[in-house]
Amino acid sequence: MAAMTATEITTADERTGGGLHGAIHAEWTKLWSVRSTWWTVSAAALLLIGYTALAAISVRVQADNGGPEEVLPSAPQITTEAVFFLAQYAVLAVATLFVAGEYATGGIRATLQWVPDRTRVLLAKCAALLPALFALGAALAAVSLVIAVPAIGGAGGGFTVGEGVRASLAVGTYWALLGAFALGIGTALRSVAGALTVSFVALVVLPMLCGAVGLPAVIDYLPGIAGLNLMLGPDAVNNITGQPVPYPGWAAVALLAAWSGAALAVGNAVLRNRDAG
Amino acid sequence: MITLRALTKRYGEKTVVDDLTFDVEPGRVTGFLGPNGAGKSTTMRMVLGLDRPSGGEALVGGRHYAELRHPVREVGAMLDAGSVHPARSAGRHLLAMARSNGVPERRVEEVLGAVGLTDVAGKRAGTFSLGMSQRLGVAGALLGDPGILLFDEPVNGLDPDGLRWIRQLMRSLAEQGRTVLVSSHLMSEMQLTADQLVVIGRGRLLADAPVGEFLAGESRQAVHVRLPGEAARRALAARLHGAGADTEHRGGGELVVHGMPVERVGDLAHELGIRLHGLSSQAVSLEQAYLELTAASAEYTTPARETEV
Ligand SMILES: Nc1ncnc2c1ncn2[C@@H]1O[C@H](COP(=O)(O)OP(=O)(O)OP(=O)(O)O)[C@@H](O)[C@H]1O
Ligand SMILES: [Mg+2]
Repeated sequence: MAAMTATEITTADERTGGGLHGAIHAEWTKLWSVRSTWWTVSAAALLLIGYTALAAISVRVQADNGGPEEVLPSAPQITTEAVFFLAQYAVLAVATLFVAGEYATGGIRATLQWVPDRTRVLLAKCAALLPALFALGAALAAVSLVIAVPAIGGAGGGFTVGEGVRASLAVGTYWALLGAFALGIGTALRSVAGALTVSFVALVVLPMLCGAVGLPAVIDYLPGIAGLNLMLGPDAVNNITGQPVPYPGWAAVALLAAWSGAALAVGNAVLRNRDAG
Repeated sequence: MITLRALTKRYGEKTVVDDLTFDVEPGRVTGFLGPNGAGKSTTMRMVLGLDRPSGGEALVGGRHYAELRHPVREVGAMLDAGSVHPARSAGRHLLAMARSNGVPERRVEEVLGAVGLTDVAGKRAGTFSLGMSQRLGVAGALLGDPGILLFDEPVNGLDPDGLRWIRQLMRSLAEQGRTVLVSSHLMSEMQLTADQLVVIGRGRLLADAPVGEFLAGESRQAVHVRLPGEAARRALAARLHGAGADTEHRGGGELVVHGMPVERVGDLAHELGIRLHGLSSQAVSLEQAYLELTAASAEYTTPARETEV
């Protein structure tokens, strides 16, 4: 292998950048330079659009067979189900891999060498990932609604353009906040498997548990159900709790943000206090 | 300049870096030697702010690593364990690094060329051989054109060509006035590259001296004695112990004497009326000097060869 000596390396003279901006730029580069990101994002798209299309066709078939019109879901409701039952796990995976994956590969040592301010590392990861998740969530939800409309063919509940936009933005918001939650958990636990387990428990197992031990009042305040309520909108009936959504959209966002903020705070504390690993 | 002051690291009860104080000066290659588990990598991680010291401090250019605004431009490091995501290509890895510290992106091409990885820049790092990974590590260390460089066992996995290359690289970096700290557990390697040697064992500083000085001193001489028989060997060994020397039995009538000049060994044999078949003084190689120095402090040793006391 041909090799030159260091004397032939020119001097890095144009010295600019770095700081938070540099850290974000680096995280953005890292995010999109591994295949797992592309795989998980593709999976999210496939699950969301695929489920919506199939469910919409199923609604149409039910309606054609004389199913009860009033209990058949609308296209935004189908999209919400697709996110809640399927696509959110792909979001969880991409966010968890983004930080916890670095502990498995040793990449965290490089990351912290480049950006020794650890809170800045976490901020940069959020800044690189969350807007991307928001945009992806909103765009994919919009696409799945557009596909659902002809597929459902007038069956199920109708919706206005405004409701469609609102539903798409809600999905984007949920994805971004869910990503922040997973980043926090992943930073705190430093293990992909551990972080995925904890997130799954928080999103799915806890609501079931709360229901089982007779604490139904708590369910609406858990992160996954808050996300579901956000996407369903204030007037809907939550199909997990069987109750109407008890708070407006902004309250759902605040609840989710509180969960994500708490997870990030724990993650930041662990990141700042422990050795690089 | 790297400055360690009473640097200490404990994991639970175990002290793996113990009160290390030394400076790594610019303009020369400083070899950082110690047996497996001596604490070299841990020390380097503390210098880079990756691990938090339990006591003392480590400074680079007079400041803590975490205080550096553009650390990659001031300190280049290649760590022992890989710190590259295996699914990311070498080029993207270096590009992210450059962007994090505002290093011009054309530097990526330059350092890839300098380490001979231009052709595989687009390949995933996980597919690299050990030697290629080491080269990628070196490329990362050079990327920001830093004045201070740390290499943790850079010769691992390199072929003879690569060995020669890395030696030249270390030398030229030091000649340019940079601070170069290179860890190894191979004295023979350091003998060829280093100007200064810092030796640690079980986390403690054992020596910090120029390579030449390292060899000086009477204890660095060994005397080889060949005797006609077992009885004569025992008698002489007993007498030598009495006079404060250490001996090593090499089988047959061979005896190696430490800590005593060759003249005195001859005189004592003469006093006892023991005939000698051979008597010679041999300078201990740097390797042996190092082994002697660290023998008592080796963390993981194979069972010691039989030593007569
Ligand atoms: N995170 C950790 N937790 C507990 N012990 C650790 C940790 N990291 C290192 N050690 C211990 O610290 C000691 C020093 O390890 P270190 O890797 O620094 O040695 P080294 O000199 O680099 O060895 P080598 O030549 O094998 O690379 C070893 O006994 C190791 O087991
Ligand atoms: Mg080591």
